Amino acid sequence: MLASSVFYSIGGNMKKLYVVIVAVLAHLMFISSASAQPTNSNQLSDPRVRQALCMAIDMKTIGETLFEDQIIMADSLLPNGPYKSPNLPDYSYNPEKARQLLAEANWDSNRELDMVFYYGDQLTTDFMAAIQAYFADVGVKMTYRLLQGDVGAQLNSVPEDGVNGPAAVDYDLGYGARAAIAMQEYYNSFKTGLNPQTPGDPKMDALIEKINSSADPEVLKPYFFEIQEYQMEKANICPLYYQKLFIYESDKVSRNGEMYGNDQYNYDWKIENWKVDGGVLQTNTGPIEFFEQPWYNLGIWIHSKVVFDRLLVADGGLVPTGCSACESYDLAPDGMSLTFKLRDGLTWHDGDDFTVEDVAWSIRTAIKAPRIHSVVVNTVNSIKGAEAFKNGSTDDVAGIKYSIADRTITLEMATLDPNILTTFSQFAILPKHKLGDVDPNQLQQSDFWQMPVGSGPFKVTEVKMNDFAKLVPFDNYHGGKAGFDIIAYPSFDGDGNLIKNAAAGKMDYGFTKNVADVAALDAMANMSTKAVDIPYTRMMWIMQYPKP
Amino acid sequence: MTTYIIQRLFIFFPMLLAISFLVYGGLELSPGDAVSHMISPELALSITAEQLEAMREAYGLNKSFLTRYWIWLTSMVQGDMGYSMAGGVAISEIMAKTVPATLELSLVALFFSTIIGCSLGVLSALKRGSATDNSLTVAGMAGVSIPEFFFGLVAILLFAIELQWLPVGGRLLPSYETVWDRIPNIVLPSLVLALMMTAGAMRYARSSMLDVLAREFITTARSKGMPEWRVNLLHGFRVALTPVVVLIGFRLPLLIGGSTIIEQVYQWPGIGNMFIRSVRGSDYPLVMTISLMYVFVVLTASLIIDVLTALIDPRVRLGKE
Repeated sequence: MLASSVFYSIGGNMKKLYVVIVAVLAHLMFISSASAQPTNSNQLSDPRVRQALCMAIDMKTIGETLFEDQIIMADSLLPNGPYKSPNLPDYSYNPEKARQLLAEANWDSNRELDMVFYYGDQLTTDFMAAIQAYFADVGVKMTYRLLQGDVGAQLNSVPEDGVNGPAAVDYDLGYGARAAIAMQEYYNSFKTGLNPQTPGDPKMDALIEKINSSADPEVLKPYFFEIQEYQMEKANICPLYYQKLFIYESDKVSRNGEMYGNDQYNYDWKIENWKVDGGVLQTNTGPIEFFEQPWYNLGIWIHSKVVFDRLLVADGGLVPTGCSACESYDLAPDGMSLTFKLRDGLTWHDGDDFTVEDVAWSIRTAIKAPRIHSVVVNTVNSIKGAEAFKNGSTDDVAGIKYSIADRTITLEMATLDPNILTTFSQFAILPKHKLGDVDPNQLQQSDFWQMPVGSGPFKVTEVKMNDFAKLVPFDNYHGGKAGFDIIAYPSFDGDGNLIKNAAAGKMDYGFTKNVADVAALDAMANMSTKAVDIPYTRMMWIMQYPKP
Repeated sequence: MTTYIIQRLFIFFPMLLAISFLVYGGLELSPGDAVSHMISPELALSITAEQLEAMREAYGLNKSFLTRYWIWLTSMVQGDMGYSMAGGVAISEIMAKTVPATLELSLVALFFSTIIGCSLGVLSALKRGSATDNSLTVAGMAGVSIPEFFFGLVAILLFAIELQWLPVGGRLLPSYETVWDRIPNIVLPSLVLALMMTAGAMRYARSSMLDVLAREFITTARSKGMPEWRVNLLHGFRVALTPVVVLIGFRLPLLIGGSTIIEQVYQWPGIGNMFIRSVRGSDYPLVMTISLMYVFVVLTASLIIDVLTALIDPRVRLGKE
């Protein structure tokens, strides 16, 4: 009544403007009321509840206290950088708003949420206790428990009905992380039928298609903005913080001006140019029983980084920048074929020639091997004929064509893979003459992994399993010969030995995500740390499916 | 004696079998399997159920519990320990690398603890009630009560980090060529391990010595005008040694299993370290082999101790000879 009286009291142009405003408001109200409802019997399917949970956690205070100010607050799944949307909803700490949203959603205050996590460290337990307290403050009960055993199945099993559920796993909230080398990795698992917590949604599926539609970052950027905004509006997950990586080095090490980057993967760090006083670089991640094959954890182990070579190199942020083992490469404008020409005169550490046949064999094996990084899986499975080769209906992959004489190999794609260059900046080429007879399912079980032969800047010369591995410079490395040896001890991030070894001068290089270790290392006169932003998002998953 | 040994052997093998079944059953009941430990939760989402199934099939994990146990048992009986699931390395190879490291550490620790423990125990008994006795008693109690990882860390802090006299951990380095090169690496872990046992051996030796010193034959020896040192060492200590030998005998197998914590603190590449890793990774064949080795060593040691006890103390006779 009021609206119509106003409408008739104003002039023509103003009337049009008024109509537009009313229409927009009505649309917004409709969207708001339509989306702000639970979609099933689980109250967590109500976006207001999810938003309230996100707003109930004071990550700033937690970051400053528990995490010793060594984390970056997260506002979406994607890390800060060129793909970050400038228009994300604000879910920063706001307990009043959280209470209000919960009241609007008629939250059942007797319900006790079950939070699961899989990190066994004390810091995570303390973090869970803090979240529990913040939730209690807004009237949400929560208990937490550490998952044990087959964590992947307990956490990630997807429902048979990817839209209506019920859930295939039994928890309400989950604390975990997504480490990615390709931005699509953050969202591809939200496709209908692939996500354990979030019901399928045609709009999300369409947005996922878009972010996978090109190999050109500029084309993809607006799509990433769109998918972030959409997901954060629905609060399918609560982004908590971005993890930093800390590279530590002793005062014996100088990178000689070479770059720092994401040391969990491979980048153009040019280790062969580093200077090491005393001529020996001591590090961890040495072998215990065997050297791990480098296609799953792409750059965690020192041997993965320095014993093997890749076709391409990436910068510290893992953006492919040029050739390593290749002399040149050519990606078709439509991204549907990629040709590499290898450098001339490449050899393996044992003196055999490194040829495109090794590249072809490595790709074929990766198609069939089970324990492979998801980005690599996506690339090799996108090659023409990969599916037929995998299921055994053909003996070769139709899309792999090579000429040993020309040193060229061409990959023809059946479907576009936007991260194909990223894959080849991380994918280690393995020697066919050493591994050619291995069953891909048992790749890791080969004797080869007792003393692997690669083509990278360092070769393995002496191994005492569980004691040390000695790596020496490879004379024929195309990037030049390093001026120091590497001794790798079988110690790992989080095993409690880092601080002891560093204090005793037995650690010259490594990386960690443990903020307590960083404080201890910084306190040592002989050690220094460098924080690196990496795409590693810690988040809280929210179960929206009905209970199983 | 022979009858006794034969009787014990008849019990020995069924016990091994029963324990192996219990351990295998325990592993079966524990959550997850080797494949679930190979795939991290963060990457599990990107692996299809078919791929996981293929891995389980490749490792034989899709067979029933009893089938897997039978396969393992028959292979074991034929002398085939199998392969580690994590990396396909022959278990015999892993054992050949890790058992000597643990034995080396344990035997050195046993040697130190026996010599020091028995000497101090006898001294304590002979000086009963004195300040020396009281001090050694307190030190012994402290040695028994304070956990070994604490001693281990304090020793690292003091001798490896502050004074930099000894290495922080590890067993070998590329530059090591002779046995002598390796001695600095074994000093700290073996002494810390020995410290725990020294306290026990000392307390045992002391009480055993006190018990013996109160016996009539000691008084008789003294009445013969023997020198005191001869009474104490040749008559007293020899008899007092019997329970101490039993203790030391039992200590060796316990040491092989009990050095796990010290191996972890000192990054010692022994069987204890490997056992923990294999349990964490649900590496069934490796866990089973190491467990069985522990059981075998304990049962064998107990048999040997019974025999030794009889040999040392003529009053003890086993069997019906």
